[in-house]
Amino acid sequence: MSTVINVGMADFKTAKNPDLLMTAGLGSCIGICVNDPVLKVGGLAHIMLPTANGSTGGNLAKYADTALVLLLQDIVRIGGNRSRLRAKMAGGAQMFSFPGKPNILKIGDRNAEAVEKELKKLGIPILAIDVGGSFGRTIHFDVGTGDLRVRTINHGEKVI
Amino acid sequence: MELNQIQRDALKEIGNIGSGNAATALSMLLQRRIDMSVPEVWMLDFEEVSKTIGLLDAAQAVVYVKVEGEASGKAVFFFPLESAEIIVQSLFNSSEHPDLFTSEIAQSALKEVGNIMVSSFIIALTQFSGIPLQPSVPALAVDMVGAILDAILLEEGEIDDQVLFIDTQMSGVPQIEGQFIFLPDEGSLNKLLGAFGI
Repeated sequence: MSTVINVGMADFKTAKNPDLLMTAGLGSCIGICVNDPVLKVGGLAHIMLPTANGSTGGNLAKYADTALVLLLQDIVRIGGNRSRLRAKMAGGAQMFSFPGKPNILKIGDRNAEAVEKELKKLGIPILAIDVGGSFGRTIHFDVGTGDLRVRTINHGEKVI
Repeated sequence: MELNQIQRDALKEIGNIGSGNAATALSMLLQRRIDMSVPEVWMLDFEEVSKTIGLLDAAQAVVYVKVEGEASGKAVFFFPLESAEIIVQSLFNSSEHPDLFTSEIAQSALKEVGNIMVSSFIIALTQFSGIPLQPSVPALAVDMVGAILDAILLEEGEIDDQVLFIDTQMSGVPQIEGQFIFLPDEGSLNKLLGAFGI
């Protein structure tokens, strides 16, 4: 029997095979999914903003850079091998468009860029990315197989 | 930040007057009775905010209007899809089911409803507090409520650890459900409370 573990906004959780990790209603936020396919353990972080800007207080699971460090530590703690970890990511949409608003303010894009940058910096290969658009996503991550199921309301469902 | 009971009651009253006006506007627009709950004032950790809107990946039609001026904030209407459909149908006096995801005319009707309701909310607030406020152009999203809410909360690229908002449930006869929330920006709170002499 597998359990589905819910990950809230600005939170992260880890799990072992056969459990699934899920997070519902990602808008401009990003779900970062990391697993070790051999030991079949992994984790999911639901980040909201690109960077903590060096801050060490408050909820560090909120930011791409700090959440990722915490997530990796936790996956290693439950038995994952740091050198085998690989990642998938989804989210980073722009739910509203305001005419004339400069791109620099598009938080979804900035989140996606930050997550990619941090994963590269940490040497974690990114196997699949489903970001952008103007629609929400609910994701289920199978830490054993590494399958990431992405469900939307009006833009279909897929496994990446 | 903690709100004391007097501040909480004042914010409730602001919600009551503003949302009451908005509900009246909706009622006149649709020619049906609209009831509203006594507004709740929430001061929540942002992680908790989503819990006030039910299932995060349920589809709803959401109209978002920024309120600009000296007590700026964000006004958001959530309508379950069936309710949004009924609103569009009664505005166009048609029994056809509009496709809220693709129909531009249905979407612009919903935006207009949001616009009218927020304008009514603002007029009440301005009359009452003396603070001049203006609504921005309304935006609409038909999608998962959680996704829409996070986009609204994060629009400026940052979020406070705690979020204050005034939450009012509306229900119409027959079968319209809606939720209106107003999120004053940081700094607006003192202006609003100041208008009450608090």
